[in-house]
Amino acid sequence: MRVDQSFKEEVRKRTGQRFDACFQCLSCAGGCPVVEDMDYNPTQIVRLVEFGQRERVLASKAIWVCVGCHACVSQCPNRVNVPLLMDTLRQMALERGVEVPEKRIVLFHRTFLDQVRRRGRIYELGLAARYKLASWTVFQDLTAGLKFLWKRKFKLLPEAVKGLSDIRTIWREGDGKA
Amino acid sequence: MEKLNGAIRYYPGCSLGSSAREMGDSFQELARMLGLEISPLEDWSCCGSSPAHSTNPKLATFLAARNLLLAQEQGVKDLMVMCPSCFVRLKQAEREILTSMEKAQELERVFHRKYQGGVRLRFFLEILEEIGLERVKEIMKNPFHGLKVALYYGCLLSRPDWITGFDVAPYERFIEELVGIAGAHPVRWPYSKHCCGASLAVTKPETSDRLVDRIRHYALEAKAQCMVVFCSLCQMNLELRGKDSSPLPVLYITELLALAAGSPNAQKWLSKHLIDPLPLLREQMSIAQSG
Repeated sequence: MRVDQSFKEEVRKRTGQRFDACFQCLSCAGGCPVVEDMDYNPTQIVRLVEFGQRERVLASKAIWVCVGCHACVSQCPNRVNVPLLMDTLRQMALERGVEVPEKRIVLFHRTFLDQVRRRGRIYELGLAARYKLASWTVFQDLTAGLKFLWKRKFKLLPEAVKGLSDIRTIWREGDGKA
Repeated sequence: MEKLNGAIRYYPGCSLGSSAREMGDSFQELARMLGLEISPLEDWSCCGSSPAHSTNPKLATFLAARNLLLAQEQGVKDLMVMCPSCFVRLKQAEREILTSMEKAQELERVFHRKYQGGVRLRFFLEILEEIGLERVKEIMKNPFHGLKVALYYGCLLSRPDWITGFDVAPYERFIEELVGIAGAHPVRWPYSKHCCGASLAVTKPETSDRLVDRIRHYALEAKAQCMVVFCSLCQMNLELRGKDSSPLPVLYITELLALAAGSPNAQKWLSKHLIDPLPLLREQMSIAQSG
């Protein structure tokens, strides 16, 4: 097993955290509500980062399945900020173009941000429709979807902010796209 | 207390006027009945939510920070935030700008405006506590008759405040008293602070089903007749997901209070629920006159 020191260093630098504080008490894994859906539990992810396992970590399901509920860091005796680590690892995986095993989650994030980029706000009906079409899951939740429409639970028309120039600036500066 | 007799400015977030209309409308009603003047932050924009902080930290900071800058320009001293998820994002951006010179300078370069840090971000429970039990009690004209409720705080409200900027723990007693003056009775149950998995509700529904079933199972076991929640993401997920447990209506705290205050417009928002709360409410109180 090769220890990729540069990976470990990069994660430390980007998060501003030291993950060698973890003494593998497994509190984070034990309290995680979605650990059953992970390939590596949060303690293992922290360990793999310390062992410089770039490929395994960045291609893992675990970093995408994490819901960011902060149960782990709340229970950690050493305050290892696992949600911050997970966010950072997701960002690194996308930057490197790693094949993400949880494609729908990434698709949802992209569809969501695209809505914000265009209007400055989320248009829920549009988000649901676009995600459903792009993920080929139109028939999943169809009954619930119709119920939403019937009850007018979603606002029917989109609204945009007046300061769209701010939003364009945010994307140009934050994402390199206008 | 003088401040609360004046105008309250709030950040609604994207769901309040759409999928969380139940909360948006009942909150308006409650404010009207309490005699509070409320208005949204002008031209507010999305906080970026999980999609931004999961994929791009700069977008996350800039999107949330735009709202802080707007509040500053509009002379807002206290900005009340309705959604726990938005609240945590705005708090996080505030912390980054106020503790990192680098981030503050970057923000100034991008927006050509400097954030001075004078806006206080307050979660709506903080404002409610400031308004006080006495004032809320005065408007409780139509209290429930011992409705058993499972108070569900969810994840983001109940983590230590050094992480999220707000911890519900010091407010729990107040909330229980609040629910009590509305004539409802909070049950003791173990899952009030466990995550419901809302952020995976669309992309990994089977995971959310499992988490919702577990939460609902314990609420039902404690003999709760409904859940009372504070977050629009929790509310939708708890009514939409779960397969193996009996449905349980999920009311926002603002709905519970507005109903107990005898809001004449309750029908408008109660009809939006995915799990119909009307049979339970009819049994509990006469809402015929409000329909």
